[in-house]
Amino acid sequence: MKKIVALLLAAMMMVAAFASCGNTDKAAGGSDDASTNTGAKFSVDVADFGEESGASLKVWGPDNYVKLLKKQCDAFVKMFPDQKIKINVVAQGEDTAATNMLSDADAAADVFGFASDQLSRLVNAGVIAPVATKYAEDITATNLKAAVSASTLPNPDTNEDTLYAFPETGNGYYLVYDKTVVSDKEAGSLEAILAACKKAGKKFIMDAGTGYYGCIFAFTGGLEINGLEEDGLTQKFNDFDSKKVVATLKAFSTLMHEYKDTFTSLDVANVSSGFVSSKKKASTCGAGIDGNWNATADADALGENFGATKLPTIKVDGEEQQMISMYGYKMIGVNNGSKYPRTSQILAYYLSSEDCQQQRCDELGWSPTNNTVIESDSAKNNVAISALVAQSEHSVPQVNVSSTFWDPMGNVGNKLIAADTNPKKYDFDKLLKDTISNIKDE
Amino acid sequence: MIKSYKLRRTLSNTFIYIILAVLGVLWVSPLAYLVIQSFSADKSSIPQTLIPMSYGIDNYVKLFTNVETLNFPRWYLNTFVVACFSCVISTISVLMVAYAFSRLRFKSRKKFINIGMILGMFPGFMTMIAIYYLLKAMGLTQTLVALVICYSAGAGLGFQISKGFFDTIPRALDEAATIDGANKNQIFWKIILPMSKPIVVYTVLTAFIGPWTDFILARIIMGDAIDNYTVAIGLQKMVSLEFKVNYFKQFLAGSVLVAVPVTILFLKMQSYYVEGVTAGGVKG
Amino acid sequence: MRYIDYMQLNPFQKFGYNFTQFFKKLPGNLKRFFVFLGHVIVKFFVGIGKGFANYGKKFVKGDFAVKLSYLIFGFANMVKGQLIKGLLFLITEVAYILFMIYFGWGYMAKFGTLGTVKATTTMDEMGFPVNVPGDNSMLILLYGVVTIVVSVIVLAIYIANTKSAYKVYEDKLEGRKVLSFKEDVMQFVDEKFHITLMSLPCLLIGCFTILPLVFMILIAFTSYDNAHLPPGNLFTWVGLSNFTDLVSMTEGANKATTFIGLAQWTIIWAIFATFTNYIFGMIVALMINKKGIKLKALWRTLFVVVIAVPQFVSLLLMNQMLQTNGAINQLLSLLTGSDVAIQFLNSTPLMARVTVIIVNIWIGIPYTILITSGILMNIPADLYESATIDGAGPVKSFMKITLPYMLFVTTPYLITSFIGNINNFNVIYLLTAGGPTTSDYYQAGYTDILVTWLFKLTMDKNDYNLAAAVGILVFIVCATLSLITFNMTKSAKDEEAFS
Repeated sequence: MKKIVALLLAAMMMVAAFASCGNTDKAAGGSDDASTNTGAKFSVDVADFGEESGASLKVWGPDNYVKLLKKQCDAFVKMFPDQKIKINVVAQGEDTAATNMLSDADAAADVFGFASDQLSRLVNAGVIAPVATKYAEDITATNLKAAVSASTLPNPDTNEDTLYAFPETGNGYYLVYDKTVVSDKEAGSLEAILAACKKAGKKFIMDAGTGYYGCIFAFTGGLEINGLEEDGLTQKFNDFDSKKVVATLKAFSTLMHEYKDTFTSLDVANVSSGFVSSKKKASTCGAGIDGNWNATADADALGENFGATKLPTIKVDGEEQQMISMYGYKMIGVNNGSKYPRTSQILAYYLSSEDCQQQRCDELGWSPTNNTVIESDSAKNNVAISALVAQSEHSVPQVNVSSTFWDPMGNVGNKLIAADTNPKKYDFDKLLKDTISNIKDE
Repeated sequence: MIKSYKLRRTLSNTFIYIILAVLGVLWVSPLAYLVIQSFSADKSSIPQTLIPMSYGIDNYVKLFTNVETLNFPRWYLNTFVVACFSCVISTISVLMVAYAFSRLRFKSRKKFINIGMILGMFPGFMTMIAIYYLLKAMGLTQTLVALVICYSAGAGLGFQISKGFFDTIPRALDEAATIDGANKNQIFWKIILPMSKPIVVYTVLTAFIGPWTDFILARIIMGDAIDNYTVAIGLQKMVSLEFKVNYFKQFLAGSVLVAVPVTILFLKMQSYYVEGVTAGGVKG
Repeated sequence: MRYIDYMQLNPFQKFGYNFTQFFKKLPGNLKRFFVFLGHVIVKFFVGIGKGFANYGKKFVKGDFAVKLSYLIFGFANMVKGQLIKGLLFLITEVAYILFMIYFGWGYMAKFGTLGTVKATTTMDEMGFPVNVPGDNSMLILLYGVVTIVVSVIVLAIYIANTKSAYKVYEDKLEGRKVLSFKEDVMQFVDEKFHITLMSLPCLLIGCFTILPLVFMILIAFTSYDNAHLPPGNLFTWVGLSNFTDLVSMTEGANKATTFIGLAQWTIIWAIFATFTNYIFGMIVALMINKKGIKLKALWRTLFVVVIAVPQFVSLLLMNQMLQTNGAINQLLSLLTGSDVAIQFLNSTPLMARVTVIIVNIWIGIPYTILITSGILMNIPADLYESATIDGAGPVKSFMKITLPYMLFVTTPYLITSFIGNINNFNVIYLLTAGGPTTSDYYQAGYTDILVTWLFKLTMDKNDYNLAAAVGILVFIVCATLSLITFNMTKSAKDEEAFS
C-alpha cells in the first residue's frame, strides 16, 4: 500500500511540476502574490446557486483556523454580492465534528471540517451530502489522488463509489526534535535518538496510549488496515505476517524498557511544553512525535533548533525497519440536511480551492492537497510540511477506520510501555490476536 | 497520677496536632499547586516544574482579553445567571415537595415517596438525548433557559433531606395554628419556613453550586453555541486535545476564578449546611 | 436473641450478628417485597375494573347533561352553574384533539414499526445532491412516548370530568349548594394543598425525568446502535436481544465478560469508596472535635475547602498531577534525588485502582467530616468517661462506642453514599477515563465502572441500546437494594416520631 502511495505521490509531483512550469511568475511571486489573487482563480457559474439567495450558513473550523476562515468566508460573500449570503463561523475541532454532526445534524453546521477517519460514520448515518457531480471532476483532477480516494466511499444504497468530501489538508504526525540534543543524523534511528536524549537527560515523548499514535507499533511490523466489510462498520486488515508484527512489537517494548526513564508516553501537548527552556530551567524534552497542527507551538519553543523529519527506523531482529504512521486528511463536508444545499456546496468547493489552500499553507503552515499548491515555495520551504510529506510515503492511509479501531490500538501502546510488562516474557502474540479480534468486534 | 494524666493528654494532643497538620497540608497542597501554577509566567503550557520559574498575572489577563473564541467572562456571567434562576426555582420546588410529604397526609403519599426515591437512581446519561430533543421541540436548545429548566426540573426529587428536616419540627405547632384559623398555605409560609433557615440555606447552596460543576448535560444542550457555555464546559474545552497546547494555564486560572467565590460562599454558609444536612439527612 | 444479650456483644459480634440476620431475613424480606409487589399489581387491576364499573354506572344513572359530558368535556359543569370549571375541561378536550391531529397521531401511527421510509439522496439534473428526508426512528419513538404520556394525562382529566359531572348532578338532585369556582380554588390552599404544592414539581419531573426515562427504557428493546443511526438509517424493535447479549458468554472480549468484570469492580469500588471515606472521615472528625484541640474552625476549613472546588477541576488537576511528568512524580524526584516516573494511572490495574480509591478519599473525607461532626457531638460524654475509667484506650472506645453508635444512626447516609458510589461517574471518568486499557473488555478499561462504560457506549460508540440495557440492570440492583434497606431502617419506621 505504502509503495502505491509513494508512486502516486511521485507521479503527482511530476504532473504538478509540469503544471507549475507554465506558472512560473506566480511561484516566484510568493505568498503576497497569492493572497492578492484571491477570487481570481476560483470561479463558478452563478447559475449554480439555482433559486437560492439570502442563504445563511454556519461553518465549523478548528480554533486556530477560525480567523483565516472568517477572512476567506468574507471573500466568498463579496464574490457573489447578489446572493446576499451570510456566513457564521464557529470554532469546532475536526476531531469532534463528526460526533457533533451525529448528535444533532439539524443544529450542526452547513459546511464543516473533519478528519478523514470519520467519513464512514458520517456516510453511514446519512448526514453528509455527496459532492456535486459538477465539482467532483475538478476536485479529482486538481488534488492528490490519495486525498481524493480518502474522500471517496461506496454509497450505502447503491454501492457506487462516490466522492463525499472536499480535501482540505494533509493530516499526520512526524518526528520533532531539538537540534541541540539530537543531530540530524541521529534523527534517522530510534535507538540513536533515545541514546542521545538519555545522554542529555531529556525525554522522548509520544502519546503511545492513544490509538492514533499507538498504531505505529503494529503498522511498523507490516499490519495495515484495508477498508471496511460490506456492513460499513467492521474493519478489514491486509494479509500481514503476524510473526513479523510480533517481533516488531517486542522490539519496541524492549527499547521502551531499556530506556524507561527516557521513553515517555504523554499526550502531545507535552511535547511543545517540554521543548521550552529558560535561563533558570533547561528543557525536559529532547525529541517527540507530534502532529503538524502543533508545528507552530513546537517551532516557537525551539526557535532555530527546531528539527522535523519523517519517523526514524527501528532495529527489528537486526534489520532496520522504517516506522510506519497513520496518515490522513482533513476534509470539508456539507451537511445533508442543509437548508441551502447549493450555496453550501459552492462554499465548500471554494474552501477547498487552490486559493484557500495556498492561504492556509502560507499563514498556518497547513500541508496542501492541491497539486499546484504542493509545488509552491511556501510549501516546499516549510520544514514541518516537508517532514509530513516525507512521512506520508511511509504511512497507512487513515481511511475507512472503524470506530472500534482506536481503543484496542491505544491498548497495544499502553501494554508495550507498561511498567509491569516484561518484554522478554510477555505474550505479544496474544496481544496482537486480541487486538485484531477486538477491533473486528468479534 | 494527675500529673501523668495531664502529661498523657498533652502528649496525645500534640500527636493529634501533628497528624492534623500533616493531613491538612496533604489536603490543601493540590489546591495550593493549582493557585501557584495559575500565576506561572513560564512559556510552557503544561507545568514542567513543581513551582513556576517566573510569576505573573498573564494567564488571568488573557482569560479576560483573549475572548474571541473562548469567552471566559461571558461564560462566567452565563453561569451566574443560570445559577441564580435555577437556585430560586429548585429551592421552591424542593421545599414544596418536602413540606407536602412531611406535613400533609394524602392518598398514595408513601408510594410517591418511594417512586421519588428510586427515580433518582437511574443513570442519567441515557435520558439526556431525550431531554435534548424535548427541549428542541420547544425551541429551547442552545439557550440558557434550557439550562435553567434542566437544573431545576428534577430538583423536586431531592426532597429527602428537607423532608427529614421538616419531620423534626413538632406538629403541635401546626395544630395550634390550625386552631387559630390558619389554612395550610399560611402554615407553610408563616410558621414552617421561618423555622427552617438551615435547610433553606442548604438547599439554596447546593442548587447554586450545581450549574458551576455540571459539564455533561450542559455540553449536550449547548452544542456549538460557545458563547452560551457555562464555565464548566468552557474550562473543559480548554483542556480538550485541541486547546490544551495553548490554554492549559488559562484553564488553571479560570478554575481558580470559579473556585474562589464558591469556596467563600461555602465557608460562610458552612454551619447552616452542617445543621441542615445532619438534621435532615441523618436522623439522630 | 434477646435485646439484653445483644447489648452485651462486642461491636464485631454485633456487626456479625446483624450481618447474618440481614442474610437470614433476606429471603423473607425479598418474599415480602415480591408479595407486596404482587398486591400492588392486583390492586391496580382491581382498581381499573372498579373504575370501569363506576364509569358505566354513573353514565346510566346520570341525566342528559351528564351523559353528554362523556363526549363533551365539562358540559354538565357548564350547564349547572360551574361555567369556568366546565370551560377548563372543554379547553383541555379541544387542545388534545388539536394536539393529536397536528402532532401526536402522525407519530403514534408509526410507533409499531418506528418508521419504514428511509432517507435518500439523489443528484438533480445540474449535478447537485438533493436530500429527501425519510422517517426518523428516534423522533418517532420519542414523540410517540410524548403522545402516550399526554394521552394518559388527558384520560385522567377525562375521568375527573365524568366524576365532576356526576357530582354536580347529584348535588343539584339532593339540593346541596354547588361550589363556585372561587370556593373550588380555595380548597387548593387548604384540604387539597398537597395538590397545589406537588403539581408544578410533578409536572417538571414528569416532563424531564419520567418521560425521558420511559424513552430510555424503550430504547433497550430496539436496535438503536452505531449501525442504525438516524437520520440516514431506521431502527426497530428487537425484543430482549440486547439483554441476552449482556449475559451470553462467548470467546474473547465480549459484552457479557465485560459486564460481569465491570460489575464486580463496581461493587468492590463502591464498598471501598464508601467505607474508607466513612471510617477515615470519622477518625479525622473525632480528632478535630476532641476536647482540648484548638483552632477547630481552621482544621475543619483545611478539609472543607476541597468540597468547594468543583470536582471536575480538582479531578482534572489530579489527573495532570499523577502523570509520569506530573507534580507528584516531580515531588518524589525532588525528595529522592533521582528520576522518578511512576505510572500511577496506566500500568497495572491494581495500582490504578488503589490510586483511584486514594484520590476518592481526598475528595470524600471532607463530606464525612461535615456530616458526622454534629452527630459525634451528640454521643453522651459519660459513655467515653466510663470507658476511660475502665481503662479503654482511644482505639477501643472508638470500636466499642463510636462506631456502633454511628453505624446505627447513619445507616441511611451510608446506603445513599453506597448507591452514590455505584453511580460515581466523575471520579473514574475524569481521573482515569477507565484506564488502564485492556484487550479483555469490550470498549472498557480496568477502572471503568458500569456507569462510565454506559457513558462511553452512549457518547463515543453510539451503542444506545446496549447502554440502555446496562442502565436498566444497574437501576434494578440499586433500586431493590435501597427500597429493601430503607424500608427496614429505623428512620422510615419512626417517621411519625415527632408527630
